[in-house]
Amino acid sequence: MSANIIRCMLGMLGTDIHSKGIRTLAQLLRDRGVEVIYLGEHNTPMGMVRAMLTEDVDIVGLSYSTATYLHYTRDLLAKMREAGLTDVPVMVGGLIHREDEPALREMGVRGIFGPGTTLEQIMKFMYEASGKAPAADVARP
Amino acid sequence: MKQGIADEAAEGQAGSPVDLQKHIEDVSIKLSRTATWSGIETQAWYGPDDVAKHDYARDSGDPGQYPYTRGAFPQMYRSRMWTLRNIVGYGAPEDTREGVMNALKMGTAGIDIVPDTLSAEALDPDHPVLSADAGQEGCSVPTVRDLEILLQGIDVTRTDVAWHQTMMIYPLVVAMARKQGLDIAKLQGSHQPDHLQLRLAGWSETIVPTELGHRTTVDCIEYSVRHSPRWALGCPQAYDLRERGVPASGEIGLGMAIVRQTIRDLEARGLTVDQVAPSLAWVSGADIDLFEEVAKFRALRRLWARTMKDTFGSKEPRAQRVRIACHTSGRALVYPQPLNNLARATVQSLAALLGGVQSLEACTYDEPICIPTEYARELATRTQQILAHEVGAARTADPLGGSYYVEALTDRVEADARQLLEKIEAIGLIEAIENGTVEGLMDDYNYRFQLEVDRLERIVVGVNRFQPKEQEQPKRFAFSPARMTEHIRRFQTLKRERDQARLGAKIAALYRVAHRRENAHPAMIEALMADASIAEVWGTVRVASGYPYDPFRVLESPFVYPTM
Repeated sequence: MSANIIRCMLGMLGTDIHSKGIRTLAQLLRDRGVEVIYLGEHNTPMGMVRAMLTEDVDIVGLSYSTATYLHYTRDLLAKMREAGLTDVPVMVGGLIHREDEPALREMGVRGIFGPGTTLEQIMKFMYEASGKAPAADVARP
Repeated sequence: MKQGIADEAAEGQAGSPVDLQKHIEDVSIKLSRTATWSGIETQAWYGPDDVAKHDYARDSGDPGQYPYTRGAFPQMYRSRMWTLRNIVGYGAPEDTREGVMNALKMGTAGIDIVPDTLSAEALDPDHPVLSADAGQEGCSVPTVRDLEILLQGIDVTRTDVAWHQTMMIYPLVVAMARKQGLDIAKLQGSHQPDHLQLRLAGWSETIVPTELGHRTTVDCIEYSVRHSPRWALGCPQAYDLRERGVPASGEIGLGMAIVRQTIRDLEARGLTVDQVAPSLAWVSGADIDLFEEVAKFRALRRLWARTMKDTFGSKEPRAQRVRIACHTSGRALVYPQPLNNLARATVQSLAALLGGVQSLEACTYDEPICIPTEYARELATRTQQILAHEVGAARTADPLGGSYYVEALTDRVEADARQLLEKIEAIGLIEAIENGTVEGLMDDYNYRFQLEVDRLERIVVGVNRFQPKEQEQPKRFAFSPARMTEHIRRFQTLKRERDQARLGAKIAALYRVAHRRENAHPAMIEALMADASIAEVWGTVRVASGYPYDPFRVLESPFVYPTM
């Protein structure tokens, strides 16, 4: 494992089943040389924190398509603080409404990627937030 | 038009010849794609050579004639109009009940109820970690008592309620009907018993273990066909498969794989295709590519007819003509400039009608934003009324039949569907789902789709081209949580005050049946009649099958199960 490779955990919290977006993102990030730890759907905040403690990730990405994202994100960030994971940046994406962005920022979310986000915007954020340099793109056949 | 360009150019101080040229390129319409939305390459035109091998009687047949390519019924919409349906569901049972009444007032013929995300996963609204999701995206219905509130005054043997739900809803409805002393042989309505679809559409192995899920589908259909023959079974639920990521042909190929496996398993239990297939309905989507979708509906009817007759030996026309329930694609609708989704849903709905579906729900324009607002629901109803009364979409059966292009496309979609079906069956459907083959196909499809969007090889208006300058904030659906709070309190009171001895006996009986891998539906219904909740019933089946009671592994079962 190269020290410069970004390790990113992707997952969904609660009962949300809309995994199409985050699965596609996982593939696109892998194309860009990101090491993706894919937790998939149906995690609890506690379960996700336990996974973070064992996986040593640079960034955590959450995807939401249901309306309860403020609740779950707040819960996750609180449990991350309790576990001492204050330095792991959290980004959220999916159906995030613009009027909720201030609340998300206030609770400590670093990256917000609502409808219309491009992969470039996510990559730029990930390099900045992780402090790691862009890896050479790994082209997919 | 020219005036508009000049104005905007002046407004944006973009008067330079380069900017103006760019602007003109932006607003002029070019052919950006020669493949269908699903990816079938098309020709500039089609002629007799492209359908030279066609035999009208063999490959088309008149509407209402085998192989039903041109429609399930001879007179199509002249004998029976499609059922205009509207989806309702949010909050507590009382909230959804209010929504149902409003939809009936607006002029909808069929009521479709969608469960909240917890009920959809057979979880209770007081789950210690997931309670925030209660009442979200649909209605919370964890017990027979809640169903009674939701349907108060509605006789389920006389009114057709369609449930957009797979897990636990059929046993709940039967339990309520029996409690009310109704004859379940007369039960009306429908639900979507296809658990394999759930497994693939995001419920995942965590919520719906493949083998247990499929066995539950077979159990449910067996019970319904034997006891409530008028109840319709939406299987396959190909809509969610399509939305998750398969082309038009994939909807047919994967859906047929599910139907064939299900019928084979029901035959092993002594039922025949002619007993089962007439109760099934194909739950389909309608995406944005008009001609490809029409071809899909035609190809689907043909492949279904031939499969039932040739593979399963059907002698009964009712088993060979598939009824199609269509909900227009939500995936094709986009967040930016949401009113454009009215245009998209109109084309999708038109495709469904030209394709000859039996019922139709048009997605609301705010689908990508939130659950439907009342105004958006009204417009979705109006869209269908415009198509019915002004456009003449329903006048004549299969109006595109005989078009060189549509006939050739019908053949191609059917051929691609057969190819996928063979690929899946060579592995075995259950194995292909458990080992990730099917999800891999879907992931590849979505990945290629996204790359095409990123490379502008696939233009989505408002998303990767022609973005609106101003993003207005769309109105979001909201409802008061007051009734939800009361609903959860009532649920907890019921759990405390019900007859615990009676409940314990019913749960123990359910555990024994499920442990023996027998059809658990009679025992599930009995437990629900004794005021068990859906999470308690399904959790017991899970434990008896070797899975944790709570898929999220937070709760332990409150019951002591018999030692086997």
